[in-house]
Parts: sequence; C-alpha cells; structure tokens
Amino acid sequence: MKARNAQNIQLPRRRFLKQGALLTSGLAVGFHWSSAAVAATAPQDDFEPNAWVRVLPDGTVKLVVHKHDSGTGTRTALAACVAEELEVDPMAVEVITPENPFFEAYMHPLWHVFSTGGSTSISLEYDRLRQAGAMAREMLVAAAAARWGLAPADCRARDGRVHHDVSGRTAGYGELTEAAAKLPAPEAVRLKAPSEFRYIGKLRHKRDALEKVSGRLRYSIDVELPGMLVAVVLRAPVIDARVEGLDTTAALQVPGVRQVIRVPARPDVLGGNQEGVAVLADDYWSAQQGREVLQLRWSQSAFAEFDSDALPGLFAAAIEDPARPLVRSHEAGDVDGAWPLAARLLEADYGMPYKAQNPLEPVCVTAELADGRLSFWGGVQVPSFAREAARTICGLGEEQVVIHELISGGSFGAREAKYWLMEAAYLAQQAGKPVKLMNSREDEVRALFGHAATLHRLKGALDADGGLSALRLRALSPASGEQWEPGYDDRPDQMDYSTTEAISAWDFAYHTPHLDLGWVRYETGVPTGWYRSVSFIPNVFAVESFMDELAQAAGRDPLDFRLAHMQERPRHVRVLQEAAELAGWGRPLPQGTALGLATHQGYGSYVAVVARLSRQPGGLRVERLSCVVDCGLAVSPGGVEEQIYGGLMWGLGHALFDRIDIRQGAVVQSNFHDYRVARMSDMPEIEIRILEGDPDKPGGVGELTSPPVAPAIANAIQRLTGQRLRETPLDLGLKA
Amino acid sequence: MIRIQVNGENHELGQELASMPLLWVLRDKLKLKGTKFGCGKGLCGACTVHFNGRPARACQLPVSAAAGGEIRTIEGLSADGDHPLQRAWVAEDVPQCGYCQSGQLMSAAALLASGKPLNDDAIRNAMSGNICRCGTYGRINRAIKRAAAEGGLA
Repeated sequence: MKARNAQNIQLPRRRFLKQGALLTSGLAVGFHWSSAAVAATAPQDDFEPNAWVRVLPDGTVKLVVHKHDSGTGTRTALAACVAEELEVDPMAVEVITPENPFFEAYMHPLWHVFSTGGSTSISLEYDRLRQAGAMAREMLVAAAAARWGLAPADCRARDGRVHHDVSGRTAGYGELTEAAAKLPAPEAVRLKAPSEFRYIGKLRHKRDALEKVSGRLRYSIDVELPGMLVAVVLRAPVIDARVEGLDTTAALQVPGVRQVIRVPARPDVLGGNQEGVAVLADDYWSAQQGREVLQLRWSQSAFAEFDSDALPGLFAAAIEDPARPLVRSHEAGDVDGAWPLAARLLEADYGMPYKAQNPLEPVCVTAELADGRLSFWGGVQVPSFAREAARTICGLGEEQVVIHELISGGSFGAREAKYWLMEAAYLAQQAGKPVKLMNSREDEVRALFGHAATLHRLKGALDADGGLSALRLRALSPASGEQWEPGYDDRPDQMDYSTTEAISAWDFAYHTPHLDLGWVRYETGVPTGWYRSVSFIPNVFAVESFMDELAQAAGRDPLDFRLAHMQERPRHVRVLQEAAELAGWGRPLPQGTALGLATHQGYGSYVAVVARLSRQPGGLRVERLSCVVDCGLAVSPGGVEEQIYGGLMWGLGHALFDRIDIRQGAVVQSNFHDYRVARMSDMPEIEIRILEGDPDKPGGVGELTSPPVAPAIANAIQRLTGQRLRETPLDLGLKA
Repeated sequence: MIRIQVNGENHELGQELASMPLLWVLRDKLKLKGTKFGCGKGLCGACTVHFNGRPARACQLPVSAAAGGEIRTIEGLSADGDHPLQRAWVAEDVPQCGYCQSGQLMSAAALLASGKPLNDDAIRNAMSGNICRCGTYGRINRAIKRAAAEGGLA
C-alpha cells in the first residue's frame, strides 16, 4: 500500500554525481574529493552515494552536516532529515563535517556561497537531505535484493539493515556497501510520507548534550596545536585610525610574549579588518598582559568627531532627501493622491541604535599556514570567508584551504563577519606558526560589524470608517552584507533583500489600496554586519508600532485592526487569533496591567506575540510574553521550542537593553556591565504554543520570534501609560 | 611554590604564576578546558568553579589566592557526566551552544548542595549571575527542579 502523501521525486543527479568518477573508481562516488592526495586516502570499500551519506563496510554510518552549528541544533536536525530516509537512528550514527567544505553540493542554494544563516538550514535543505538519505537507502535495498535474487520492492530498510520479511533474510548496511557502491544511482526515489516518520517531527533531544554538560565538548577556544601561539589584537580604538607609532619593548618583556605583529587594515575587502597590533604569546593571559603595555600612537581618523547621538538628527534630515538613494520595496496605488482624501493623517519616526551580538564564546579561531595549505580550526560559519581570507592574504585557492569545523559558543551574526578570519590568516602567515586568535569580551563588544542603527518614518491615512487607506514607509539604513553577493550591483531593482525584510511586496503583512514602502540607503561608514533577525528587527518594530498607533487613532482594537487589513493570509490570521486567545486578549485585566500585540512573518513561518506589562513601584515590568508560532513542520520540536524562547529573549534585549554608542569614533561600551544582556532575573513568564502546520514544509525559526517582541512591549507601554515610545531601548522607568 | 588542589588532585605551580587568574591556570596550565572564558570581569559566570564548596568566578581569582583551598571544576563534578544535575540537563535538553553550561551547572550544583529550599526565587537568585545568550533559562529552571526531585540534594 502506498502511504498517503508519499512523494516520488526525480533526482537532480548532476548535483550528486560527477560523471566518470563513478565507473572508473568502482565507487558510487568519489566526486567530493577535489584533489588526488585526498582521494588516495579514501577507503575503497565505502559506500558514498552522495554528499551527505557515508557507509563503511563495518556498518558505521556517517552523515555529513554541512551547516555550522552555533547551538542551533543543525547537527541534530539536518542529520535527522538524512537519517529518516536512510532508516538509521540520527542520535546513534556519526555526524561529521564536510571533508571538502567547497564541494558544490554544500553551496547555499539561494546565496551561492558556502555559508550558514538566514534561518534557512532546515527550510532550504529539507528536501534534498531527505533525497540523499532515500537515494542511499534505495541503493542498499537494491544491493540486498540482487544478492537474494529478489525484487527491491519486496525488501525494506529499517534500523541500518535491509529485511526480506517473507523469508526472514536480513543484511546489515555494512555488508552491502561494496555491492551498493557498484550500482547506478536511481533516477528517482520515494520519500516517506509524514505519517511514516520516526524521527522528523519527534526529536526532543540534541546530539552532544552529554559532552556539553560534562565540559568535554571542544570549542574554538579549546584548540591547542604543537608550537601554537595565542594572539590578541589591539584594534584601532577610533574607526579607521592607523598605527603611526609603535614601541614593542615593554610588551616583548612580558614573560611568555613572543612576537608583536602589526596587522594592516584591509579597507579594500568588504568587511575587511581594521588596523591593529597583535601580541603573540604562549598563552592568553601573557598575550593580554603584553597588549596592556603596548606603546602606540594612532593616526587621526575621519571618525574622530563621529558621535552616534547625532545620528537621529542626521537620519531625520536625510530620510526624505530626494538626493538620497531610494529603493522602493513595495508600491501600490497612489499615496500622494490619497493623502488629501484622508479623514485622518498620522506620522511617526522610530529609531533603533547600533547593537552588538555578544556570543558568549568570544570570536576565536586557530590558523596555520604550512605545506602550502591554510588550515583553520574553529567555528567557521562562512567557509566562503575563510576562502576569501586565504586568497587575499596568502594567495591560495580553495584546494589549499582546510577547515576543521567546530561547534561554536553562539554566533547571532558575529561569526558571519570576516575580519577575524583575515586577521588569523595574516598572523599565521607572518608568525610561521599556528596562531590562535582570541577576542576578549571588550574586543567582542567593540568589534563593530554588529547591527546597524536605523530610522523609520511612517505616514498613514485613515478613511472615514477607520480603515487604513494609504501607507508610506521609509526605512533608513546602510546596505547589508548582501553586497557581497555576486551580481549585486547589476541587479536591476537594486533591492537589498536583507534590508527590506518584511517590507517587500511578497512579505508585507498588510493590505491597503495605496502603498509606498522603500529603503533609503545611508552609509555612515561605521562597519556593520549580520545580526540575528537582521532588518526584520527595525522594520517590524516600526510597522507593528505604527499599526497600533493607527488603530488607536481610528478608535479600533489593535487585533481587529490588524486582521481587517490582512488579505489571504490564513496562517498569519491564525497565529494572531491564537496568541490573543492564549494571552487573554479582550478579557478584563487586573488594575495596572496591559497587553500589547505584535506579529511577524518570515522564513516561511508566522508568529504573534502578546506582551503583558504591569505597573510596579519602580516602573513597569514585563510580566509575560505569550507567543504562537506556525512554522509548518517542526522537524525537531524540542529545537523549535528553544529557538522560539531564545528569540523572545533576544527581542526582550532589543526592547530593553541593546545599545552601542559611539563617541568620537570609539565604541563606548566594553563588557556586560555596560552592555546589558538578558539574565534569568530579567525573564518574564514565557508561554509558547506551536501550531501544527503544513506537514510537508518546514519553515525557519532561528530568527522568527525576536522582531515582534519590542513592538509588543512598546504597544503595551502605550496602553498602560498613554506614552508612545518610538526609540529603543525602551525606558521602563516611566511613571504614568 | 603555589600549591593548589583541583578536583582532589594536588598541583604545584611556579611563583611567577601568582597573579595569573585561576581560570587561565586551569585552562592553559592544567589543560582543564571545561571551565570557559566569557568576560574576564566576573560578569557572565562562564568560568564558575567551586572554591571551598562555594561558587567562585575563576577569572577573578588570582591563583595565589586559591592556594590551600579546594577547587572543583566541571571535570570534577562527576566521573561520567552522571551528577543528578548533568542527568537532568540532558533529560531537559538544556544546552544549545553549551558554552555557558559548565558555569551554569557549577552555580546550580552549589545551590543544590546548599540545602536551601528550592523555588523560582531561589533559582533566580542563584543563577542570575550566569549569562546564557542562547536563552536556556527556562530549561535550566526545569532541570534544577528535576534534579532536586530526583534526589539531587544528596
């Protein structure tokens, strides 16, 4: 019987196999060995049907996870997608990282770079990882069937073995590798129906938990190599300043300090490093002591007078300046024609400051240049950047780049920066030894390449019935790192998709006859970078705050007002309704308590958040966040839940804490005492409801839930105090 | 000579290391890498160890000040990761990136061993010095209660 929803998939064979390698080597593969030297070490009897599956003759199953795991659980969830179809236990098999990180199959299918990010690891890899598992399974089944003289359809795979139930015959995968490797890859494979899943949708635990709780998991910071030096870099205190004078005498006298190396700035490389001076020592503490006594004179910089407090004024003056580049992200009707007809007009500006990612493991990587190869040990989230560092610093091609990929202690965008890979490559080259580059917390806070400061200006028209008749939005921000995408400058729309999230034609939530949404590009020159949820954060803060302001002006309930302006968005409507129900929206509340609502969609998923605030003697308190998510199929429900919680915590941080100030060109904050992050004592009660969504399609969740938190809190503050706060961090010290 | 005792083992260190924080002695001299570096200022709790049974920030303790005391690190919490808290951490699937969890566990172990009544306030008070950027606070709370319920007070 054919299971419901089972799919027969035509395989894109060329993606898996290079013609030729197959027949000559007697292996089903070999394609991913990019050099003869590596191929020579490949065991000859392994079954390696595609980029993700390795079966050894002894029965060992190794699954390749080609996405970085910064605590997001990719090593569990992606392996489970392969394992489900391969009929092996994803918690029991080995998980490895790519032998060749630059094999074509590992390229990000949208961005065409080797990278992990954008909450895409599950949503974009789900189908092909399952296909990879199914392909291997069908070849192993075919090998067993041939051995037994049976039709493959009469055999089935289960728990790492092929079974013929009628005769009771069974063979382990390991015994079948040699025969399976000689079979042609199937043209099409059958994927299991969701009802047949044993692991997908049921995972409650992640791999590596025991290693993590026993202190045994090795992170980038734990790497040690023979002869290795530890480097810390004193980077330009003022953006773009250069070293003018350097006296290394005192630093070199510190016990354990071995070398001092000036690291030149690379302004020619987008995202390249600032100038700095590295102190290399036997250990971190000695290097740090050496850095403290470096005698340095820095040049003047164009940023010497730069003050982030001046930005709101500069941004406000620029946001409607016709000379500024404006890219329209969504247009309909004629807003200018609509304004005069409005019963009521509303305008508001919303601002957000620079923010730092602050992963708890400060950025760290070890690099060694030896035997014509550049090797990296660490959490290398973007192998393309390692490759770029090798090319620009050492003149090496990708065949000479080796990555020993490790789980990292968080990223949130910090490990999608490039500067540290460039610095490490340079130091490895100059020192002639393995070099472990370590950031201190102060380095991390001041690293730049964080979240950009932004200004949003909205104008809305209400008609006589309290409906939204026209809306204009200008989102002012610098371009994102999207620019590194090949062909960016040639794109006719000049859209920066990582800046216009939630305000584009395909993802703007609200319908109104006249719309004009656009991005105003404003480059301050301050290096910014990737950040968990990127431009969704300011875009959703502005839109969801303004929707409440409009609803209030129209005298309508914020929930009803939102629902009234959604068209053909059943999943979006449902999360809003369920969140309202979960939080008790519309029901009587205790005195001194208010709810605020906000919603968001992205990565194929939907979320609504209701914040409950109360008035306390010292100010306001966020008591509870109620959150409803529809992410389609949750491959790992336990992982989805923790990503939702983590996102809510990050949203709380944006709402209440996150802020980097720059005075006279230098970052003011330095450590967790002045860059506050959420602690357990800051956490409100958290309620999470995950809806059963489309069983065939997983959406992204890593960056889903932070953006609606700040506007939900701001909306609750308004309802509680009558005051509308339009700049984060929001001040809960308000009295009203 | 500076003599320290870590996880029941005695170590002798040269006097030149006197001002080195215990954290770097553990990590770089004794090669006990389970204790993590997060801030270097005693603000994040990633380097939490037990000093004479009480939680201490190893990044703030010069090793000379730790001489003569009993130091316990995550490696010494249990032989095989089977301390009741570690078992509860796995059962609740607490770690995301896992980087802060050595420190979280050492803080929680001190709380559990203190014999104080366990409730949300006590957990919050004991654990709010430990930062987790992934957001595992909810599960940490559940895991501490689970460990206590399963006899972790012993």
